[in-house]
Amino acid sequence: MHEVSIALSLLERIVEECEKNGYSKVVAVTVDVGRASGIMPDALSFSFEALKTDTRASEAILTINDVAIKALCNNCGSEFSTEDAYVFMCPHCSSNSFTMLSGRELNITEIEVQ
Amino acid sequence: MKLKVVTKILDANEKIAQENRDVFDKHRVFVINLMSSPGAGKTTLLEQTIKALSPELKIAVIEGDITGTDDAVRIDALGIPVVQINTGGGCHLDASMVQEAISDLPIKEIDLLFVENVGNLVCPAEFYLGEDVKAMVLSITEGHDKPLKYPMMFQHSKAVVVNKIDLLGYLDVDVQKIRKDIYSLNPSIALFEVSCKTGQGIDGWIDWIKTGCLCRRQ
Repeated sequence: MHEVSIALSLLERIVEECEKNGYSKVVAVTVDVGRASGIMPDALSFSFEALKTDTRASEAILTINDVAIKALCNNCGSEFSTEDAYVFMCPHCSSNSFTMLSGRELNITEIEVQ
Repeated sequence: MKLKVVTKILDANEKIAQENRDVFDKHRVFVINLMSSPGAGKTTLLEQTIKALSPELKIAVIEGDITGTDDAVRIDALGIPVVQINTGGGCHLDASMVQEAISDLPIKEIDLLFVENVGNLVCPAEFYLGEDVKAMVLSITEGHDKPLKYPMMFQHSKAVVVNKIDLLGYLDVDVQKIRKDIYSLNPSIALFEVSCKTGQGIDGWIDWIKTGCLCRRQ
């Protein structure tokens, strides 16, 4: 449900960036969404499409890059990744002390303006 | 024309949260963002906590609810400054709502501020409000499967109060599994098994808050 808030923040941010640089419209935006960010890409796309009308981004195409989860085990030092949305333990030594390297992203990486 | 901008989508929220943080830093207020599903016992925990810590600590509460003022009325009855935020359908509090609420509180005089988030195990964990710590309540009536079903909130919290343990004999709930799963998600979390109704186990939670307030003042 909070994808609507996220899409609204995204729209505000890209319109602000477009105006700041003296352009009139946003035609494309690329975002990184980590698997463990708690965001459903489909819900984010849906919210973005619904909210973009009547803004400088009304024609903007949203591309969402899915960022895999990578973590570094604090016990055995191995780096591992997982397809699951959440990491519970190191697959090598079963320790549950690890540092997330990626997977929590919720970032704008590129905006295309005209 | 392509603009390379690497920025957080929730940049606007983070900026306002930082402004809140600056206000809390200036007045050395220890701020707890309290989260749980609806009905887990956040307000009852707050009532017990206020009774145990006031007037030793000067406490204030920001209440977040979709609608209504029931929680704020309960806190107000204890003589504690309280501001009610109604999100009007929104499933979480964001930093700007909290910023507005702070302006209605005597923040200079406050040692400890609770922000009681909207009852929801999903979204509130995403939005930084400027707090020192996130803490959560899980009641055993919700079932032992909840930590693994809603992992993010457990991973983001520094403390979890497992509430309603006075009902242990009446429920088919495996508290050992709750404990094990919470620690597997977050090994450093402080876990308190509590009955807000009888007061059982609440001392550990109270001490944890006192320690947080002490660290904040130094």
